Amino acid sequence: MNTQEYIQSGIIESYVLGMASSAEVAELEQLCLQYPEIKKALNDFELALEANALSKAVTPPPQVKKQIFAALQSNFVENENKAAENTKALASPLNEMMVVKMNQPSRFLAAASIILLVISGGMNIYFYSKFKETTQQYQALVLEKNTLQANNQIMQTKSLDMFNSMQMMTDPNMQKVSMPGITGKEANYATVFWNLKSKDVYILPNKLPQPANGKQYQLWAIVDGKPVDAGVISDCAGLCKMKNIPSASMFAITLEKLGGSETPTLSEMYVAGKVG
Amino acid sequence: MLYLEQAQHYSESELILLLTQQSETAFSYLYDHYSGALYASILSIVNNQEAAADTLQEVFIKIFRQIHSYDSSKGRLYTWMLNIARNAAIDTTRSKGFQKTQKNQALSENVYDLAGSAEIKTDFIGLRKLVHGLKPEWRVLVELSYFEGYTQDEIAKMLDIPLGTVKTRLRAALKELHKLIKE
Repeated sequence: MNTQEYIQSGIIESYVLGMASSAEVAELEQLCLQYPEIKKALNDFELALEANALSKAVTPPPQVKKQIFAALQSNFVENENKAAENTKALASPLNEMMVVKMNQPSRFLAAASIILLVISGGMNIYFYSKFKETTQQYQALVLEKNTLQANNQIMQTKSLDMFNSMQMMTDPNMQKVSMPGITGKEANYATVFWNLKSKDVYILPNKLPQPANGKQYQLWAIVDGKPVDAGVISDCAGLCKMKNIPSASMFAITLEKLGGSETPTLSEMYVAGKVG
Repeated sequence: MLYLEQAQHYSESELILLLTQQSETAFSYLYDHYSGALYASILSIVNNQEAAADTLQEVFIKIFRQIHSYDSSKGRLYTWMLNIARNAAIDTTRSKGFQKTQKNQALSENVYDLAGSAEIKTDFIGLRKLVHGLKPEWRVLVELSYFEGYTQDEIAKMLDIPLGTVKTRLRAALKELHKLIKE
């Protein structure tokens, strides 16, 4: 194409002054990419127009700039100088006042939130102490409950033993041998239950003084005039099962050393009773 | 201080880069450098100092806000700004409030008469002053299209001239104007 003719056509001026149609604009922009001389002609006219305008500039009223910059103030990206200015401004009393000058609802909300915080803090302390107290009480209750449960179990066992003893006592095969206190020890009393079928012997120490330390009561069966060891009486509920005694004419209890003796200490005899 | 400010100078690409980063210093420089030229061009269209100052303010805010849409491959920054200023100034002359004040001043009569009669306006400035150096049949076309913002179609109807003639004459007028600018 003839670029000179195009350049001379007045289209460039029309484009720069914003008077070209959109088709003309598109064409010119395309041609500028293709032909450097067209681009140069365009640039030349722009520079000439700009130089002319600058040389014939009219200074606008000074307040215009102030108004523009005031309107755009919040849009400028702060550089270091401005940041420094802002820091300075923050330190000034004027700005302090602006910080204090909150609007009414904000002040109310701020006050309310501080009060709520204090109340909440107080409640925390109160509830924590309550919590500690309750925890201690709970632990005491758990301990008490365990003790009661243990006691209850002991009672149940005892009760079962008593029931079993009663069952044995009322057994028709059971022979009861009462053993009253011997002369000088009349206050004492014990009972032997002897199963005639199984020959098992049970003792019920109805009334015997607490044995001294290292001492234990021992039951003796008198067989053919001779004492036979029938076992030591340990701490048992109800009836205490003793040794199996096939035959006996008499039963007696002596106080012996712990674990029992081979032969009874006759001076320490407490109770004795004949069979039958 | 004044010396330092005068010494500060940006190349056009530096200036554009800083403007897209919303630098206050660069924008201040832009204003100091171009506000006079743009104010003159607005004034040549609006012909009322108060309205022109308001328009200038509007134009610079637009420039700041729309700097991202400026494409340097399509032309110089000043050309882009000048077009914003021209459009804003034409919008101002077309606003109701502005037309009222102009009527009170009894200036707005027939556009053609106004454009054609050099006696009415003697205080033209800038580009408009140059346009008044053109021969009348060209001058009226530049007046109506550039300063009043009418399309070539509208002008053809208004003046009862074929559209082709409007186009040819206008191009010739702009070429002549180009010469006058360079002088």
